[in-house]
Amino acid sequence: MGTSVQVTPLCGVYNENPLSYLVSIDGFNFLLDCGWNDLFDTSLLEPLSRVASSIDAVLLSHPDTLHLGALPYAMKQLGLSAPVYATEPVHRLGLLTMYDQYLSRKQVSDFDLFTLDDIDNAFQNVIRLTYSQNYHLSGKGEGIVIAPHVAGHMLGGSIWKITKDGEDVIYAVDYNHRKERHLNGTVLQSFVRPAVLITDAYHALYTSQTARQQRDKEFLDTISKHLEVGGNVLLPVDTAGRVLELLLILEQHWSQRAFSFPIYFLTYVSSSTIDYVKSFLEWMSDSISKSFETSRDNAFLLRHVTLLINKTDLDNAPPGPKVVLASMGSLEAGFARDIFVEWANNPRNLVLFTETGQFGTLARMLQSAPPPKFVKVTMSKRVPLAGEELIAYEEEQNRLKREEALRVSLVKEEEIKASHGPDDTSSEPMIIDTKTNHDVVGSHGPAYKDIFIDGFVPPSSSLAPMFPFYDNTSVWDDFGEVINPDDYVIKDEDMDRGAMLNGDDVDGRLDEAAASLMLDTRPSKVISNELIVTVSCSLVKMDYEGRSDGRSIKSMIAHVSPLKLVLVHAIAEATEHLRQHCLNNICPHVYAPQIEETVDVTSDLCAYKVQLSEKLMSNVIFKKLGDSEVAWVDSEVGKTESDMRSLLPMPSAASPHKPVLVGDLKIADFKQFLSSKGVQVEFAGGGALRCGEYVTLRKVGPTGQKGGASGPQQILIEGPLCEDYYKIRDYLYSQFYLL
Amino acid sequence: MASSSLKRREQPMSRDGDQLIITPLGAGNEVGRSCVYMSFRGKTILFDCGIHPAYSGMAALPYFDEIDPSTIDVLLITHFHLDHAASLPYFLEKTTFKGRVFMTHATKAIYKLLLTDYVKVSKVSVEDMLFDEQDINKSMDRIEVIDFHQTVEVNGIKFWCYTAGHVLGAAMFMVDIAGVRILYTGDYSREEDRHLKAAELPQFSPDICIIESTSGVQIHQARHIREKRFTDVIHSTVAQGGRVLIPAFALGRAQELLLILDEYWSNHPDLHNIPIYYASPLAKKCMAVYQTYILSMNDRIRNQFANSNPFVFKHISPLNSIDDFRDVGPSVVMATPGGLQSGLSRQLFDIWCSDKKNSCIIPGYMVEGTLAKTIINEPKEVTLMNGLTAPLNMQVHYISFSAHADYAQTSTFLKELMPPNIILVHGEANEMMRLKQKLFTEFPDGNTKIMTPKNCESVEMYFNSEKMAKTIGRLAEKTPDVGDTVSGILVKKGFTYQIMAPDDLHVFSQLSTATVTQRITIPFAGAFGVIKHRLEKIFESVEFSTDEETGLPALKVHERVTVKQESEKHISLQWSSDPISDMVSDSIVALVLNISREVPKIVVEEEDVVKSEEENGKKVEKVIYALLVSLFGDVKQGENGKLVISVDGNVAQLDKESGDVESEHEGLKERVRLAFQRIQSAVKPIPLSAS
Repeated sequence: MGTSVQVTPLCGVYNENPLSYLVSIDGFNFLLDCGWNDLFDTSLLEPLSRVASSIDAVLLSHPDTLHLGALPYAMKQLGLSAPVYATEPVHRLGLLTMYDQYLSRKQVSDFDLFTLDDIDNAFQNVIRLTYSQNYHLSGKGEGIVIAPHVAGHMLGGSIWKITKDGEDVIYAVDYNHRKERHLNGTVLQSFVRPAVLITDAYHALYTSQTARQQRDKEFLDTISKHLEVGGNVLLPVDTAGRVLELLLILEQHWSQRAFSFPIYFLTYVSSSTIDYVKSFLEWMSDSISKSFETSRDNAFLLRHVTLLINKTDLDNAPPGPKVVLASMGSLEAGFARDIFVEWANNPRNLVLFTETGQFGTLARMLQSAPPPKFVKVTMSKRVPLAGEELIAYEEEQNRLKREEALRVSLVKEEEIKASHGPDDTSSEPMIIDTKTNHDVVGSHGPAYKDIFIDGFVPPSSSLAPMFPFYDNTSVWDDFGEVINPDDYVIKDEDMDRGAMLNGDDVDGRLDEAAASLMLDTRPSKVISNELIVTVSCSLVKMDYEGRSDGRSIKSMIAHVSPLKLVLVHAIAEATEHLRQHCLNNICPHVYAPQIEETVDVTSDLCAYKVQLSEKLMSNVIFKKLGDSEVAWVDSEVGKTESDMRSLLPMPSAASPHKPVLVGDLKIADFKQFLSSKGVQVEFAGGGALRCGEYVTLRKVGPTGQKGGASGPQQILIEGPLCEDYYKIRDYLYSQFYLL
Repeated sequence: MASSSLKRREQPMSRDGDQLIITPLGAGNEVGRSCVYMSFRGKTILFDCGIHPAYSGMAALPYFDEIDPSTIDVLLITHFHLDHAASLPYFLEKTTFKGRVFMTHATKAIYKLLLTDYVKVSKVSVEDMLFDEQDINKSMDRIEVIDFHQTVEVNGIKFWCYTAGHVLGAAMFMVDIAGVRILYTGDYSREEDRHLKAAELPQFSPDICIIESTSGVQIHQARHIREKRFTDVIHSTVAQGGRVLIPAFALGRAQELLLILDEYWSNHPDLHNIPIYYASPLAKKCMAVYQTYILSMNDRIRNQFANSNPFVFKHISPLNSIDDFRDVGPSVVMATPGGLQSGLSRQLFDIWCSDKKNSCIIPGYMVEGTLAKTIINEPKEVTLMNGLTAPLNMQVHYISFSAHADYAQTSTFLKELMPPNIILVHGEANEMMRLKQKLFTEFPDGNTKIMTPKNCESVEMYFNSEKMAKTIGRLAEKTPDVGDTVSGILVKKGFTYQIMAPDDLHVFSQLSTATVTQRITIPFAGAFGVIKHRLEKIFESVEFSTDEETGLPALKVHERVTVKQESEKHISLQWSSDPISDMVSDSIVALVLNISREVPKIVVEEEDVVKSEEENGKKVEKVIYALLVSLFGDVKQGENGKLVISVDGNVAQLDKESGDVESEHEGLKERVRLAFQRIQSAVKPIPLSAS
């Protein structure tokens, strides 16, 4: 019997909320994506929190907040501890996206859902795969093979193929079949007849996708129009996803037209982003890798774009019209929000949205038609404490410190009492060390506390307040101090020292601003004020989302024609529309489950394995048809030595079977074939083909999608008894294989 | 349909299909021009396509004449070194090869630079040139890229690659044809260095491992000792005011040495005023590639990359020519060519060799006959480029940074993998034999075959890999027991087989089935009853009915063909196409046409039923005999009514009654039995229904 497959959406069905789905394959639980929105709404994660601990593997598909934003929080707070699988760019760019999110939030609020350490921890153990790498899971998932394939939406973006016992479950969301500047189109079409396809209906109702060239022209014209009248252009973008395509378009265009207007790319991690992207050429489009191979010209060596990591640099930039790409795309946080508030009241400025804003965000509000004249925004700022507040704060800290010291000394006393056996020290030396550290080096205490103040909550797993500093209490035995001989061995790996000296930050480079923010230990607070922003600047939205449109989605699903289809991530209308379409045209098993509703998509496919004996195979003659070969077999079941079923030739002549015509006749192709043979052909009414003078040929019965569930094709040929009839019949037969 | 003559050809074919042939076209018992040909089950693969650096022109090529390039499906290039990749432009542009070529991203990028440089510097005459720059550019369009671990399938050949640790982008290819796995290591090193990962240990054990044997039974010095010697020599030389010359090949180890130097300088601020140069325009060009394909390197580099690109050197600057070089005070220069034959490295050597403060470090394997090889033995004097002799006072150090697996690595690698067949290539004959001997002692159980084929010498192996099929869909609703029959369509895609019912074909494959309904009208003016009567005489089953709509009579003949009276002057035939129905309809057509032509002659031939049956029997026997003769030639009547058939000295006896065959020769017996069955079913009346 088939492999059991259950799908349970945890977030992101019947709406545009972040994506997160639970797929259980023979009891092995995959979490497909672990997204969050720019509002960081914890209520969205409730379903996830209920199942987080039972998850065995996480597969990430794209490096943006909607697909992986909740990973640090889930790892820290919800008990998610499964290994995470992603491609190298998704891992790296996802990490940078989360850094940017955190730093943007931290600037303006007492953000405490997760910390930089949580982000690092979450991304530390990501298992990185390359496209089409068949990764065999072990342990509980024995027998399951996972492989990411090109999705085309973002750099490194993947559609996942999960295979068990020859049955494929494909998870494909946010794919793009169109080739872009920096990305190849998806390879979704190369999968045929998977057992289950889980896909999104996000763009099912979206049809007005303009041709790329025209769209690019409009895009650039709009920008240059505003620049030329002295306005500024703001593009609210994501941190490291779709922005790459925009950068390339601008870069290319600026080179061609020799514009002198500056372009700024402003996120907390912009320079790291581009540095990494430069080393991800393997993952980009063929044309980019080709140009590098032939001329060593790295497309992301940006000549016209200045990378900025803090707002001051932008403010200090020479005045005059400029283009700024800044995060976040939702305008809920980040530099884009600040810039928007500054620029909104100037009618010469332009805010150009390149994707639909997330639901409920400022960007979405501005994209409504007609756009609002005024928007109310809450602007927050982090300011250092001063005056009375500072004094009050310090007093509070001192009080806390005293209490802590008292508590620690009490604990210490207890521990001294308790720790007489040497085993205690060896089993949990770390905890004792930490506490000793507080007690003995009490004078350093305040320094640590200062670090606390900034709202940096060290992860519960961390041992020291900030830096992992251990004061080793030495243990003495009869021979003196107990030492670890390894400490005194001259290290072979001295070559690694260089790396360490350079301030080895395993999980990525933080930009200076980030570092300064992190190390800024001055007491500070967040002040907020509400303002009404007059929106007099132009607001334009263009589609650079990099997702396939409704028509392509339908034809692609039809091509893949899964045995069972699960629809997710779209508003109700779009989901229902695509569901109906697929039910009518593609496959009879279409599911669109609600949140936490489990659908069982176990295939009702019967299958068993047999060995094909050499004797049988030597009598089989294959006929080649496309990329497969077919033959009819009549065989008797036997057993091999290893008790495996095997097929042996029939001992006596097989009873004749009903002959089968195999092949796919396309009337149009056949018409061409006939005319090449010198037969007069033309289309008569009703899809009939008139061949010669008398004979007509037509397809009857339901004409469904190619290879769809419509069953075999029925062809009717009729005519009077004449030579032509037999000739055309022979031609018709030549299109098929008779088995 | 299936003719038995075809089948006879099939049988030996299928046995051939199990034969796996591996033939080194180069690098068999030699180092250079790596090229290994492999064929199994009609699929053909070529690993690497190098030249022999010691020869020039056509002589440097692998023995391509041995094979038909047009039959090769896939060509896999492990890394960019000339002895592994340099005959590719020739093979692509000047032979009939039309398959697909794969290499890794980094290999492809450097391949172009390296070969372009090779074409420029090689000093052979135009006729001897194997290819020109244009050929290289053209070849770039045909090369496809593959990422590490990415599985690619071409014509049912599955392959993927592992990191090999030899140079940037170096790969070991694992090929899977119908479940038989072959690992080709190319050049590999199991030791992690400053920028490269060690060669991975494949997840699966291969059935055959084609492995390099460059280092033979040598054991390398530990890496940190080598590095310490290297940096110590340099540090002490420059500290004494001397100059250090490192002649090196432009790509590969040079980058590793530069990393060591740059890092050493970073850690020793006292050296910061001493310049380091690398004098190779090619290396300079390739630096962009090294700066880009960080992902192919080890974690150490990737982590450093998080801070700054380690291939953006802080203390090392490029040097274009000796004219740009101001030789004042101590310095370190890495220069090409590695053999000190000519060029910048030689120019500097000539200047520096007589000063005993200076040092020369030879960082790797040197080809016999080059000056670099000569000075390792520290002669008293050397000949300069201008013909004069000069004393060799500079210190010469040989510190091997070769990135080939040594004996320890090779034997552990093989012990982990435990391949049943090992084929040694890419090694000098003596080294290879020593390695073979020593490996024999490591695998004493005798289950491991170790082979060292010479160039063009084929190794043949047989793999009786089981063919497994999956029965799916309706056909698999009931799992059959022994003795049950399974009939259905066998669909082969690549090397996977599926058996399914015809109705399921469109569900589980991209193929679809069709039914062709035929309708033909025949002019017929006579009475419909006449047709009915005549048909009943000929066919076993003729059913009469009346069309509900028109009220006209209709006949269903042989349960297949419907004969209908359409009008006074026409009748129509309708049936669903298949060979039997077509035949039935043809005979009906003939019958109908004959009715209209001649007066119906109804003769009752009731008498002599027994006799006619006898006659029929005789006729059948005659037909059987004639057909057997046409198939087998020598057929005689034997005893007890048996037929004796002899083919090529083998004799089979056929019992005409039961169909039993007796023969010593299994193949003949089977064939006669099958032929007899077919003949019998052909002379019998057509069965009513196909079920």
